[in-house]
Amino acid sequence: MLQRMWSRLAESFGIGGRSRTDRLHDDAEAFVAMLTDEHIARGMAPDAARRAAVLEAEASESAREAVRDEEPRAWLRPLTQDARYAMRLMRRTPGLTLAVMAAIALGIGATTTTFSAVDAVLLRPLPYANADRLVVVLHRGTNPVSAANFLDWQRGTSASFEAMGAAEYWSPNLRGAGSPEKLTGLRLTPEILPMLGVQPAIGRWPAGGAGSAREVVLSDALWRRDFGADPRVLGRALVLDTDTDVVVGVMPATFHFAPFWATHAELWSGLDLAPRASQRGSNSLRVFAKLRERVPLARAQANVTAVTGALEAQFPGSNRNVTVTPLKDRVVGDVRPTLLVLFGAVACVLLLACANVAYLLLARAAAREREFAVRCAIGASRARVIRQLLTESVVLSVTGGVLGVALATLGVRAFTGLAAESVPRLQGMTIDARVLAFATVLSVLTGLVFGLAPARTLSRLNVNRGLREDDRGATSGRASRNLRRLLVASQVALVFVLLAGAGLLLRSFAALRTQDLGFAPEGIASFVVSVSGSSEAEPGRRLAFYNDVMARVRAMPGVESAAAINHMPLVGDIWGFPYVAFDRPQPKPEDRPSATYRVVSPGYFETMRIAVEGRTFTNADRIGAPPVVIVNHALAASTWPAESAIGKRLRVPFGDDQDWCTVVGVSRDTVRTDLHDVPEPEMFLPLEQNHAYQSNAAAHYAAMTLVVRARSDAASLVPAFRAAVHEAAPDVPVSEVSLLQEAVDRGADGARFTMALLGTFALVALTLASVGIFGVMSHDVAGRRREIGIRLALGASRGRVVGGVIRDGLLAAVSGLACGFAAAWVLRTVVEGLLFRIAPLDPATFAIATAMVATVATLGCLLPAWRGSRMNVGRELK
Amino acid sequence: MTDRSRTTGALLPGSLDMLVLQALRAEAHHGLGIARRIEQMTQGAFTVKVGSLFPALYRLERAGLVTSRAGESENRRQARFYSLTAAGKRRLRSETVTWRRLVGALAHALDPTS
Repeated sequence: MLQRMWSRLAESFGIGGRSRTDRLHDDAEAFVAMLTDEHIARGMAPDAARRAAVLEAEASESAREAVRDEEPRAWLRPLTQDARYAMRLMRRTPGLTLAVMAAIALGIGATTTTFSAVDAVLLRPLPYANADRLVVVLHRGTNPVSAANFLDWQRGTSASFEAMGAAEYWSPNLRGAGSPEKLTGLRLTPEILPMLGVQPAIGRWPAGGAGSAREVVLSDALWRRDFGADPRVLGRALVLDTDTDVVVGVMPATFHFAPFWATHAELWSGLDLAPRASQRGSNSLRVFAKLRERVPLARAQANVTAVTGALEAQFPGSNRNVTVTPLKDRVVGDVRPTLLVLFGAVACVLLLACANVAYLLLARAAAREREFAVRCAIGASRARVIRQLLTESVVLSVTGGVLGVALATLGVRAFTGLAAESVPRLQGMTIDARVLAFATVLSVLTGLVFGLAPARTLSRLNVNRGLREDDRGATSGRASRNLRRLLVASQVALVFVLLAGAGLLLRSFAALRTQDLGFAPEGIASFVVSVSGSSEAEPGRRLAFYNDVMARVRAMPGVESAAAINHMPLVGDIWGFPYVAFDRPQPKPEDRPSATYRVVSPGYFETMRIAVEGRTFTNADRIGAPPVVIVNHALAASTWPAESAIGKRLRVPFGDDQDWCTVVGVSRDTVRTDLHDVPEPEMFLPLEQNHAYQSNAAAHYAAMTLVVRARSDAASLVPAFRAAVHEAAPDVPVSEVSLLQEAVDRGADGARFTMALLGTFALVALTLASVGIFGVMSHDVAGRRREIGIRLALGASRGRVVGGVIRDGLLAAVSGLACGFAAAWVLRTVVEGLLFRIAPLDPATFAIATAMVATVATLGCLLPAWRGSRMNVGRELK
Repeated sequence: MTDRSRTTGALLPGSLDMLVLQALRAEAHHGLGIARRIEQMTQGAFTVKVGSLFPALYRLERAGLVTSRAGESENRRQARFYSLTAAGKRRLRSETVTWRRLVGALAHALDPTS
């Protein structure tokens, strides 16, 4: 009995001996055969006897199917049977199978890799609890907020937000045994951590109130690096700048905050805003909030707009353009267009691969016409034939898909290696369950898509035609000719779109790299010298210290010049202050223009090789001498259009230095934070005349960036710079060492990566399309061999015969180009965001792309046509 | 396609199985042989088609009442021959008794004279 159960189970899976379906086939065949014998014995002709036997036994294919369908697991067995047949077929035609596999593996591998990137960056939620409800509330979606505003907003929006907190950038010097270390951190109000839903791994979070600023929480990385992962670190005292703080907790290794702006923070402490509760002028906070459940973003935005509107009426200029943005958008919003464009491009490549594979299978289908004609004759239904063919193509595509996933693991590694720095959240890119599910579904769909063409063609066979010896058959009828035209046109369209896109990105990247930066970055090294908490910070000593360090550095062999600036372009922070021009109509305070605030030592412009009209700062420009300022071209043009700015006066109505300054020079516009920047107004004040940077004890005024131009290799001098600073003052740390040329190169990394990827896709597409068009046209010519032979024999010139074939192919190519143009027009806004100083419909790029596609299409049509016209007429007509 | 009502004696379930068992009582047959035998036994009232004969045979085989082996027909055709097992013989005997009783009762019930 057990054996019977076992054999029944085995049979239902079609393994272990002949399955019941095979038995039925054999039995039915034997039945019909014997019946046929009887008819023949009675005198019928063999064909007629067989047909009559089939009818009499009701053993037609559909009857047998009806029987099979009654058996248990009936639906599974035909599939497994078809699958095994498909694998036998694959083994019989190794060349074709290999070609198909390669195309599918490439297509699915590339698509899966790109999907993995899209998943890691765009789809996966941020690593916080209920991350989809986290938002940021900032001016213009990105600019910092003042303390008074934050507190007012917090009070007024509790209907929409279940919590609202603020974070402030904090960069203290950790002083202990050995040289001091500059750390990156954040001060957070007590609402933030509960909002994120993450618990400290050890200890606790700083409680609210005034004492929280003296309690710190370490990141896992900092804990391991500086404290040796000591489990008794809680309660340790640290000297951060001038304060003694105590460690109260350590966060888990997976915790990262903030996900944008201060992404490398490894130290968190409490933020006590009580002393600043009325400060509405200085903006340094980023505000995070959590929406209440089921409160839509629009309602929260309306709430915020109402609150800020009332505050704006009370304090004009303070509460403008405040928007509520989902945190995810703020983190990945910039890179979303690029990733989506890349995903679209790789989908085009996959479609191209499918078109090619469809054609290859169509060609193979032509060779199998007789096989299917016979099947139809003995009664196979059309649905059955389609099902079998689709199973075959799905088996092919799934096998190719498995290879594709293997390729994708390599692709993922390459992707992360190349782009992890420039794309947020890309480090999480991996082949996980979701990506595998995507790859599986994609493989099956791909198989269905390219299997449809041969399936439709073969199932519509006219049985009589198929059984004849004629080599034309169903694959050269009108329907299949249209199909071939469609294949050519679609390949041309897809290739054109990809080529045009890649060309645009190439030109955009070239423009980015060759633009005039305003300064000469080769040989420039910069580093931050932070005196906060050291004795050098005292007023009177600070300026002397900076000058001392600069003198030491200038004295080094290999150094051409050195200077100082508060924030370095491209790599440093950006501070904006409002300014007032002397002889201009005075705007209301809230409408005052603002400019980037730069404080520089004499020699800065010369060191950076920034051209200046007028003069630059000298040692004579010190406290006591007439206050001076240098403005950049953008500021001069917007404030004093059509006149020279030199001699004009302006002042900054904020902070420690509010005197009227005379403009003595106009400098060239330079890149500010990003290579894509449009020039913004900037003003330069001399360090020697600046009270804030010479005496203000606040940490953000107690640091300067030293800029050094080296004669040759700047990187090799960095240890010498550290030594020089250490000699001048051992308790002053050196941080943020950077080489400007590297920063410039890094700034173009994103554009380079996108361009390289899209260029690769375009080249792969071009290859696929070339092979595809050539193949389709060759097949067409081969199918018409007889017809061409006859026409040649009847005296038609080779030119006319060739011309007909070429015309057909070129017509398809032209319509494909037209579709390509249309697609490019439709997609122009999507691509625009990725381009730098190039229009999305740039004529030159389009012309080149058209030329490349036209060449490929023409060659693809000409070569087979030429071969067709050279055929041996006699041989073909036999 | 397959008209089951004509071939399986619609009103009485299991009657085809019975006929198959009876056809095999004397000796083993291949598929066509069984069909011919049934036709003969019922004097042409039942003509069994492929679509109903073989599922019935497989059913009986699964139930252990029938067994099969490969063989050669008169015309030297490869075919599968089916025969009764001991259990099949026993089942045939008991089913026949039940059947006769059933038919007798029905006949009595439907007799216009009683």
